[in-house]
Amino acid sequence: MVSSQTDEVYLDYQSARPVDHRVVEAMQPYFTERFGNPASLHGVGDRATEALEDSRAKVAAFLNATPREIIFTSGATESNNLALIGFARRNKRSGNHVVITEMEHISILNIAKYLEQEGFRVTRVPPDQYGRISPERLRARVTDETILVSVGWASNEIGTVQAIPAIAEMLRGTGVALHVDAVAAEGQLPVDMAAVPVDLLSISSNDIYGPQGVGALYVRKGVRLAAVTMGGGQERGLRSGTENLPGVVGMAAAAGIAAGEMSAESVRLAAMRDRLIREVLSNVPDSHLNGHPTERLPNNAHFRFEGIEGESLLLSLRDEGIAVSTGSACSSKTLEPSHTLISCGLLHEEAHGSLELTLGRFSRESDVDRVMQVLPGVVKRLRGLSPLYRAK
Amino acid sequence: MKSTQYSEKTLDHFRNPRNVGVLEGDDVAVGRVGNPVCGDLMEMYVRVKDDRIDDIKFQTFGCGSAIATSSMITELVMGKTLDEALEVTRADVADALDGLPPVKMHCSNLAADALHDAIKNWRSGKRLEPLGADEIAAAAKGCSSGATGETTVIQGTEDYAGKGVYASVADVTALADKRVLVLDKGVASARLALELTRVTPRVIFLTELDALALPDELASEIKRSDVKMLFQSRLLAVRGEGEVEKVLVHDLDEDSDYELFVDAVVLLED
Repeated sequence: MVSSQTDEVYLDYQSARPVDHRVVEAMQPYFTERFGNPASLHGVGDRATEALEDSRAKVAAFLNATPREIIFTSGATESNNLALIGFARRNKRSGNHVVITEMEHISILNIAKYLEQEGFRVTRVPPDQYGRISPERLRARVTDETILVSVGWASNEIGTVQAIPAIAEMLRGTGVALHVDAVAAEGQLPVDMAAVPVDLLSISSNDIYGPQGVGALYVRKGVRLAAVTMGGGQERGLRSGTENLPGVVGMAAAAGIAAGEMSAESVRLAAMRDRLIREVLSNVPDSHLNGHPTERLPNNAHFRFEGIEGESLLLSLRDEGIAVSTGSACSSKTLEPSHTLISCGLLHEEAHGSLELTLGRFSRESDVDRVMQVLPGVVKRLRGLSPLYRAK
Repeated sequence: MKSTQYSEKTLDHFRNPRNVGVLEGDDVAVGRVGNPVCGDLMEMYVRVKDDRIDDIKFQTFGCGSAIATSSMITELVMGKTLDEALEVTRADVADALDGLPPVKMHCSNLAADALHDAIKNWRSGKRLEPLGADEIAAAAKGCSSGATGETTVIQGTEDYAGKGVYASVADVTALADKRVLVLDKGVASARLALELTRVTPRVIFLTELDALALPDELASEIKRSDVKMLFQSRLLAVRGEGEVEKVLVHDLDEDSDYELFVDAVVLLED
């Protein structure tokens, strides 16, 4: 495996995951001997259609949905575009108000801005200090004009998990549709469409160790969308363009593996996460946990360290062969600190000093050992340079 | 180019920064630029002898390029006359580091500015002063002094009375797990802030002053506590949809406004 065969300690699974070798094996024939366009009317095309529909059934099973409810896309960002823009346009006559949260992934935030330009009104619900959205607070923002609510199942950044079953239950029967971006949660928590009344749900392949560049949108039977990509009418007209067959086959294989291994894997990762959190908080002075203490993804540990800046921390850890992420402005394209941390109530200077460690399928206890060997010294060195840090 | 794609030389200065620290004495001037809100803060100390930089040290909070440019400029100007040092520009520092990522040229290349500020302070006779001297001046021109000298109107406090804005708190457990902003109204408000830390990890104490104007014991207790201090700050407005969601804060030092997400605002009655 990528991470276990090198000395590099990879703790940035939320950014990208290696593709599982079993997935690569499943994909391999579809680049060469089993190539084909499902739209073709000959034997090669028929076999491609079979592979496509077989994959659709596997992804549907992963979500406990029916195959007709699965639309393949190029990834979660496209799924989010189709869900929000497609739903809002198609259901405009019912109302012009959309509710999202301040915690959403950048793709949802920017789609919401776009909807505002199209004339929709968007309300953004703030979380509490742990990143949790109160279902009651959300409900209070729903008006007669509201047609859609969009909430991420979990934060890809700070790992806080939302009470999606409670939110879905609360919206049931109100005539307001619920979209859930499940990218951070899929493969880590049960995402069961038969048990939870969600109308639209975005998932990505890479977040379950499948290839990048493929994803899906779950569309509950009866939910109407307008297409946002025009063309040959593939995917029930909702997503035109020749299907990415090797990608779709890979996503289906990844979904099958995730369904089988998730419960044991989540227990394993949660134990490592808890050890990491415990040891960082007790070995690094003036360090804090961001996100929820218990309602968090099994693989996510997110900290902030007083008096230092995240990019310096990231560079120092990179020198030690440890790959991590930060919510600091200095490592972002916009030079703005993480909107997630700000919406949890952190000051900019606090958000700058954050460190995100995300575990995954190939993480080992020795990775945590290595972080604990290095991190306290790195924080101490950077604080020695900083005019801001004064030990308490 | 990625924002963290640094040259080897930049990385070397980041890993092994030269001339880190502070200088003391009456032949030392200090320059300071940036602020922690933007993610960069630099302090440059220069000791001047016979119009030359006899010694120079720095402290920097910031990203890789902020630290590397600080270190680089200390090497560039050590031993130079003040006029020569003033000619060193941001571009010179970037060149000496074999270039910086474009996005870092502006925000994290403040070392030349910090040096120029130090030289300016030296020439105007401003010697090393304890940190905060500038802030005191800024605060003095910007606000009424004293913890209870509140004269500005805070927008929204009446609209949100009972919906997150409190004039008194009889039972702190009512604010358990909330993000609470306590406005400095002197000793009683400071004691309340401390008490709140028992029920919530997020208590912010906002004051227009640049240091705690409290009895010593209480001040040191607050410093040791988890109360987050916001000095030189003025509460301008309370905002939210039907209940308190955030506040608008004016930073008196930077003369800029920003929003802060909170659940409750405590404005004890005088």
